[in-house]
Amino acid sequence: MSTAPTPSAPAIAIHDLTKVFPIPFKREVVTAVDSLSLTVAPGQVYGLLGPNGSGKSTTMKIVLGLVTPTKGHAEIFGRPCTSVDSREAVGFLPENPYFYKFLTGSETLHFYGRLCGLSGRKLSERTRELLALVGLEDAADRRVGGYSKGMLQRIGLAQALVQEPRLLVLDEPTAGVDPAGSRDIRDLILRFKERGITVLLCSHLLGQVQEVCDRIGILHRGKLLREGPLRDLISIENQTELVLENASPELLADLEARITLGGAKLLEKRRPQTTLERFFIEVTTGQDPR
Amino acid sequence: MHPSPSTHRIFSPTRLWAIASNTLLELVRQKVFYFLLLFALVSIGSSVILVQFSFQQQFQVLKDVALGAMSIFTWLLAVLCTAMILPRDIEDRTLYTILAKPVPRFEYLLGKLAGVLLLLLLALSLMGVVAALVLYLRQQDVLAGILAHTAPEDLDAAVRELKASTFTANLIPGILLIYIKAAICAALTLLISSFASSPVFTIIVSVMVYLIGHIQPIAREYWLNQLPAGTIVPPLIKVFLGFVALIFPDFQLFNLIDDIVVGAAVPFAAFAQTALLGLGYTAVYTILAYLSFAQKEL
Amino acid sequence: MRIRTALITLACLLAFGAGRIPIENHLAARHGAAGLNTAQLDLSLRQRIGQMSFLAALSGFRAVVADLLWIEAHSAWERTEWGRMKLLLDTVTALQPRAILFWDNAAWHMAWNASVAAREDRSQPREALRIRNQREYFKAGEDFLLRGIQNNPSSALLHERLGLLYQDKFRDPARAAEAFQRSAQLPGASQYVHRFALYQLALVPGREAEAYACLKALYQKSKQEHLPTLLRRLQDLEKKLSVPPDQRLPILESP
Repeated sequence: MSTAPTPSAPAIAIHDLTKVFPIPFKREVVTAVDSLSLTVAPGQVYGLLGPNGSGKSTTMKIVLGLVTPTKGHAEIFGRPCTSVDSREAVGFLPENPYFYKFLTGSETLHFYGRLCGLSGRKLSERTRELLALVGLEDAADRRVGGYSKGMLQRIGLAQALVQEPRLLVLDEPTAGVDPAGSRDIRDLILRFKERGITVLLCSHLLGQVQEVCDRIGILHRGKLLREGPLRDLISIENQTELVLENASPELLADLEARITLGGAKLLEKRRPQTTLERFFIEVTTGQDPR
Repeated sequence: MHPSPSTHRIFSPTRLWAIASNTLLELVRQKVFYFLLLFALVSIGSSVILVQFSFQQQFQVLKDVALGAMSIFTWLLAVLCTAMILPRDIEDRTLYTILAKPVPRFEYLLGKLAGVLLLLLLALSLMGVVAALVLYLRQQDVLAGILAHTAPEDLDAAVRELKASTFTANLIPGILLIYIKAAICAALTLLISSFASSPVFTIIVSVMVYLIGHIQPIAREYWLNQLPAGTIVPPLIKVFLGFVALIFPDFQLFNLIDDIVVGAAVPFAAFAQTALLGLGYTAVYTILAYLSFAQKEL
Repeated sequence: MRIRTALITLACLLAFGAGRIPIENHLAARHGAAGLNTAQLDLSLRQRIGQMSFLAALSGFRAVVADLLWIEAHSAWERTEWGRMKLLLDTVTALQPRAILFWDNAAWHMAWNASVAAREDRSQPREALRIRNQREYFKAGEDFLLRGIQNNPSSALLHERLGLLYQDKFRDPARAAEAFQRSAQLPGASQYVHRFALYQLALVPGREAEAYACLKALYQKSKQEHLPTLLRRLQDLEKKLSVPPDQRLPILESP
């Protein structure tokens, strides 16, 4: 039943996937995913974008084997998503995760570790390592019931990583988290990328996706509208941006004259601004986050 | 990075135990457990007030109340706890995180059921210990009276009579059947809950099946025509009776404690067959619950 | 999809039912033979105890319902409401036909307590009616014991109690002797019932010789059996049977 994973297989391969939900007591149906095909290469950070109800969650649930597709199939590293062993290679962080309130952070990781076949010293070490990675060492022995939103998200990430999966599926990982927490999570995702972990990120926070993703796909009403490397998709081919420091008014006037001479057109002249996020973090932590 | 070949096992006792022990812990932390347990222990303990009767009557009432309390509270725990486990995990989305790990769905379901069964074992043992303690204390009380007021030549017989009317080994098969009956109800509730959309619905249906299950033998007898000669059952009613007999479990078969308390003994073969039938019920309901749960879109 | 699963589940339940029904039928018969689950929970019982209690009795709390009614009967006794008490005791024994204690106590209340109360009932001026009522309670006590024996044929205690009832209340030595004798043959019988049976037999006209032979055997068995009543009965029988003086037992004249 368990198929051997092929080393060169894509992290996620989705072929012609359709999911139709019948509406109870009605003849109508809802098509959540419509003939979707996409591939996520190993090591990529892939952003799946779309408004609420666009089919992101259903796609993710199919990849995790929580929902069976009506048509088509999906694979993780070459193993069909319908087989239990395909989930050895995946870690999943659901939207607004919620864990057993009566367990401490460390007990939670132990529980999920045991579900993945870990035990004994190896599990204890892994738990400690993960708590350090997500910065929850101080809260390790506190009940999860008393965790803040951001801490829940972080313990959720640690839980997803417990069996050292090669693929992480993150559903709205920063929803409801404050900017500092949100930045921490973004930094963690970038670190996973450095380690070669593939990430599938579902979000509708475009700014965040833009910061971390290599490649994006935009879903709307169950169909994949656009897909490709982020850089290609959002660059404006016939425009160029210059950012200057300490430029004198004379130099600027000279530049403007040359632009007109060269046949180009100056569209906008403005002072670059820091992002509100950076400003907020600078103020609250008293340091430059970069 | 080269992927290691899959070492995944279809069934792993470690995972099962992880889920079962976690479920037990979850249930033990719930208020409903303490509430029911406290109520059970109080009702077992309070039967001591019945001192107005002769000691045989007193012990009979004491045992009836204690075993009745054990039976009803074990059943209530089985139904209430099982009805909550699936909806709670779905609502909290902990189910997603568990099933997103390499955990087969039957293992998850079996682990949850095993957790409930462990809880029932714990609760029933605790109630049993308290009941035995209450009986023992009353026995010592009565014994003191006998020693003081009985002629020496009748003492042996009096003490023997006293011991026969308190805790006897006969009760043990009855108590085991209380447990088995509760296990059937837990598996049944799990089956209902794999279809139901709310725990309240699950509980109502489960209670109804419990009540109908106790009159199932009447339907069965009428259906199979084990009737006084001359009774005629209309065909439509006969079909209905057959349906009731086939669909609903016969809970009356597991209800032997009432007769055991008053001195009836259960032959071992009859007990073993009843227990096996109970395990059969539990297994069938669990498998059906799995079949439904395996199809479920989460 | 859900509907299909539900139909498959239903089909499986029906198949399982078809498989288990012969087993359950056999097992129910087996339990019945062992004296388990023999209470007749029928509609007349429902009328007597009400819907809720009936439901409770059906769903595994038969014993508890019986106990509650028993306690109620006990308070009826304290208030000397004999008619109500009899009704309650009828229900209690119907719910718990295997409880010897209930049969025994119910019969005792009727034949020994209620009957005396009826005999001394000041509200009934006519003596003949008082005696008739008293006999009715004797009958009620007998009725409880007979039904109890029907449900528990191997109970030595119930047979012994029946013997006592015939001896003390009905003054019927023939039936008393028979009941005591049955009790003596059952496991767990009191040591004295055999003796009691013979005492009563000695009083049955026409069976004196049989009684004398048995009592004599008892007398000769051990010195411990030389109880005053036994000796008196032997002497009475020797007189009645005109046993020649040289064949009589060497019993001293009772004081």
